[in-house]
Amino acid sequence: MDARQTVIQTEKLTLMYSDFCALNSLELSVPSQGITAILGSNGAGKTSFIKCALGLIPYQAGLIHVMGKSAGDRSLLSHMGVMMQEADLPDLLTPREHLTLICSYFDDNASVEDLIRECDLEAFADKRYRLLSGGQKKRVQFAASIAGKPKLVFLDEPTTGLDTKARKVLWNKIRELSDTGTAVVLTTHYLEEADALADYTIVMHAGRTIAHGPALQIRNSLSGSRVRCVSNVRLDIIEKSTNTIKAQYSGKRLEVICKDGTTAARELFELDPNLSDLTVESTDLEDAFEHLIAQQEPISIVSESNTSDISTELKQ
Amino acid sequence: MIALRNEVGAEILKSIRAPEFVIPTLLMPSAFYFLFGITLSRGGNNAAYFLATYGVFAVMGPAIFGFGIGVANERERGWLELKRLLPAPPYSYVLAKLLATLLFAAAALIPLYFLAGFVGNVRLPLSAWSGLYLLHLLSCIPFACIGLSLGFRFNSSGAIALSNVIYLGLAVLGGLWMPVFVFPDWMQTVALATPTYHFAELALSIVDKSNSESLLTNLSIVIAMSFAFAGLATLSWLKAK
Repeated sequence: MDARQTVIQTEKLTLMYSDFCALNSLELSVPSQGITAILGSNGAGKTSFIKCALGLIPYQAGLIHVMGKSAGDRSLLSHMGVMMQEADLPDLLTPREHLTLICSYFDDNASVEDLIRECDLEAFADKRYRLLSGGQKKRVQFAASIAGKPKLVFLDEPTTGLDTKARKVLWNKIRELSDTGTAVVLTTHYLEEADALADYTIVMHAGRTIAHGPALQIRNSLSGSRVRCVSNVRLDIIEKSTNTIKAQYSGKRLEVICKDGTTAARELFELDPNLSDLTVESTDLEDAFEHLIAQQEPISIVSESNTSDISTELKQ
Repeated sequence: MIALRNEVGAEILKSIRAPEFVIPTLLMPSAFYFLFGITLSRGGNNAAYFLATYGVFAVMGPAIFGFGIGVANERERGWLELKRLLPAPPYSYVLAKLLATLLFAAAALIPLYFLAGFVGNVRLPLSAWSGLYLLHLLSCIPFACIGLSLGFRFNSSGAIALSNVIYLGLAVLGGLWMPVFVFPDWMQTVALATPTYHFAELALSIVDKSNSESLLTNLSIVIAMSFAFAGLATLSWLKAK
């Protein structure tokens, strides 16, 4: 990706927590347009990457540039918006009071009334924050993140804990924000969320990027099918087939991720003519994600010798 | 400037919407003063003495609890981390909290002074009333620094427990509830190490009740302790970042 088209760029970014390597020579580029989803299971390094990009934690080696400046540069704060997974607003103020305060930090700010209207906060704008539902609180936090008309917004697991309806409301707001030209970096462990929102996807595992590209391309990287049915066929027999990528039972319900759905269906019928409830679908982002993770080696703890190598590269 | 004004406004709103903060900090010192300083001590000279000491007690509450528990709570829920990512001046949060604390301390002193003047029959020249009021307000600052250190070092439940111990401990040992001269010798020695004792002596000198041999020593100790607590608060702040 051309440097001019990126809003965040890392080079061999390394972050250690004691003897745990949270970011392991991470190479990553975030495009300056659209929504970039950073996917990964717990401990993959998503939040660590965000915290490094925001300048909240010092890293041991490598580089990270945000909008052409070193991460943590205070001049970036006027152009960034943040919604952190573990950060909440004080309970005793109302959304209107919160937004009035936060808007006043920025020289070029959005109007409080516009934020209330755009983020659908009218119904509870004057209610104390602690009395709001989880979904309402997330919408207030989202409004706060765009109070300074940012060019780049970080959304760290923005819909965690929300019900489906509240999640979809927030998705619409994120999409609307992206349509205005703001670059959005979204970390999530909901693959459905990344599937619905992302223009570009980065998959992280054990502190590294293991795949990146347009979301459609990542999804299609596993061009295969998911076959489901109720059957009694033994799992080890299914797994012997060269067509099978992954097979598992959930109760009596069998799920097979395979290269070719028609072949898998035929094989299953041959093995169990009494099978029922057969469905064949294309694989989705979740299947591609699981496949990518399964291809990786187990998470390795950096040895003392590696740590000393890192220390020789300490950033000035 | 607008940000600082809004920040002070937000701090005041947060405080007045927390009855668990407002009632004990604004009303308890006056209630105690009415009971122990006026009713049980039968007013007059004793009421003036206790006005000086309970005034210090009245400003300690907003300072220690407002900063200690408020900061610990907001740090714990990630608000302070989020604020680091906003282009707010780094000092605005602490400055706003300090201004709000001064305002609450000023408010906590008003019923106390009314009780002293109208119920306790304390008679002082206007210069003494205003000097005493100013001294009481200024005595907020080192206690706010103690609260700030607690807020940055402990979680909210730890800060609540420690704030109570420090608040009540300094009040009793410093002679704010009863004169130091009624203490046994060892407690009188301990009192000399508390900021409350030295502030109380300065306040007592304004109402002509001080037994201090050198007010300059009391003043020097108060200033030195204020700088020490400010240093501790700064270190705690930097460590929390």
